[in-house]
Amino acid sequence: MAYIVFDDDRIDIEPGQTVLSALLDQGHYIPHSCRSGICQTCLMQATDGEVPAAAQAGLKNTLVSQGYFLACCCKPETPLHVITAPDKNIRHAVNVISHDLLNAHVLRLRLERPDNFDYHPGQFLTVWKEDTVGRSYSLASVPGIDNYLELHIRRMPNGKVSNWLHDDIDVDDVLHVQAATGNCFYTPDAPEQKMILAGTGTGLSPIIGIVRDALQQQHRGEIHLVHGAMKTDDLYLHQTLQDLDQRHNQFFYHTNVLHADEDHPLYDAMSLDQKLLHIGEDLTDCRIFLCGDPNLVNSLKKTMFMAGASMKNIYADPFIAAYD
Amino acid sequence: MSSLYERIGGQGAVDAAVDIFYRKVLADERISDYFDGVDMEEQINKQKGFLTMAFGGPNEYTGKSMRDGHAHLVERGLNDSHVDAVIENLGATLQELGVAAADIQEVADIANSVRDDVLSR
Ligand SMILES: Cc1cc2nc3c(=O)[nH]c(=O)nc-3n(C[C@H](O)[C@H](O)[C@H](O)COP(=O)(O)OP(=O)(O)OC[C@H]3O[C@@H](n4cnc5c(N)ncnc54)[C@H](O)[C@@H]3O)c2cc1C
Ligand code: HEM
Ligand code: FES
Repeated sequence: MAYIVFDDDRIDIEPGQTVLSALLDQGHYIPHSCRSGICQTCLMQATDGEVPAAAQAGLKNTLVSQGYFLACCCKPETPLHVITAPDKNIRHAVNVISHDLLNAHVLRLRLERPDNFDYHPGQFLTVWKEDTVGRSYSLASVPGIDNYLELHIRRMPNGKVSNWLHDDIDVDDVLHVQAATGNCFYTPDAPEQKMILAGTGTGLSPIIGIVRDALQQQHRGEIHLVHGAMKTDDLYLHQTLQDLDQRHNQFFYHTNVLHADEDHPLYDAMSLDQKLLHIGEDLTDCRIFLCGDPNLVNSLKKTMFMAGASMKNIYADPFIAAYD
Repeated sequence: MSSLYERIGGQGAVDAAVDIFYRKVLADERISDYFDGVDMEEQINKQKGFLTMAFGGPNEYTGKSMRDGHAHLVERGLNDSHVDAVIENLGATLQELGVAAADIQEVADIANSVRDDVLSR
């Protein structure tokens, strides 16, 4: 039977069991969040033995070469010696530059950008609370334009990290963040391509980053941003986006407000998927970004695919909740 | 003489066919339930494996792996009618891509050759 060695403990691994679940079963606390290979909060390092390739999928080469792997995806078949990832290699201490509300529930947090902190707008970083609880937040800032990192954080009822960031963190406090990752971002290989980006709630954060990045990189095709919200009050950065729409011929800002305040001019009788299909017309060569609520993102992905979008042109960023 | 895989267009044809094929399969009520996985990307990659094999391309699948790979579907009632439906969708996909009728027949023959393994017989 395969086993792992951790803290001088030898722990047997059942076939198909992950390193994360084996360690948790033995009472070792290993930080983790999504348990599905997305957030990278469960990063550990192997000091001896062979790491299965699946446990390193999506990691930067620099991490792979140092033996880092994702504990939630690691099902070893041979003995493996593992340690918790030494923090200094992967976490940065950064100052909070600004802390203000964009609407009643959404906090905009600007953080100092550490040297060598490379990222693409739309990727996400991990914010750590007390070393052990990590949550992913998407980047709305753009490296060539902003010298800070910008995050939009929605207050979740009873949420550990979101409430802490809203209530207990303020300007000049120090936060610990872990490098950016994720593959939902702009690449300048098809500057004429039509782009449709839809985000619900704080799904707007990665999408604003991607749009500003595309504009900065001189994207010439039409760019349609759709912000989906339950109520008008859930929209944010409305004026900023309207201004952007005015300034750039190729950029179009749309809202999709579902709930029945029909008196309000922004109320939309169309559902979000109808709206996207309406904007899209011909999706064959359209690049699509979908961010926010996981159920909605997955169902939109299918709708857009069935309507003719190519799977390789659909970038999805479901904000899946943490299981810790 | 070029091989079937080369005539159809190799890896490029697999990439072109996979979206069309997967879209047809998801729209086909006879079989869509089997394919409606949570992770569409992963499903697309698996369908690429299927297409490469059916196009006579390089693949590592054996009768045993076809058996193991579909056993959980056989438990859910997979039978000849589903295999027929898959082959039909495959044919329609290739027709849309302008593949010659004789080549489409050859593809169907390859798919048929593993029918018994797919159905655990
Ligand atoms: C790739 C990625 C990017 C993300 N980007 C952002 C971002 O830019 N902005 C942002 O605000 N959030 C983002 N999130 C979500 C974020 O990581 C946290 O999950 C969220 O802030 C809640 O954390 P918490 O500690 O406050 O709540 P927790 O303590 O984890 O959860 C509190 C309660 O709320 C429930 N819950 C958590 N999330 C949801 C949900 N989505 N729907 C319904 N119930 C839920 C939990 O099950 C629990 O009962 C992203 C997530 C991922 C995976
Ligand atoms: C006609 C003969 C068939 C062949 C040659 C074939 C071949 C394959 C191949 C090569 C894979 C890829 C496995 C992998 O890469 O992991 C696969 C997967 C799959 N096949 Fe088939 N297949 C056939 C028929 C069917 C039928 C009739 C169904 C259902 C209606 C089906 C449903 C699936 C599903 C759902 C998967 C994904 C497996 C999973 O997610 O568990 N196949 N098939
Ligand atoms: S990547 Fe392992 S818990 Fe998220």
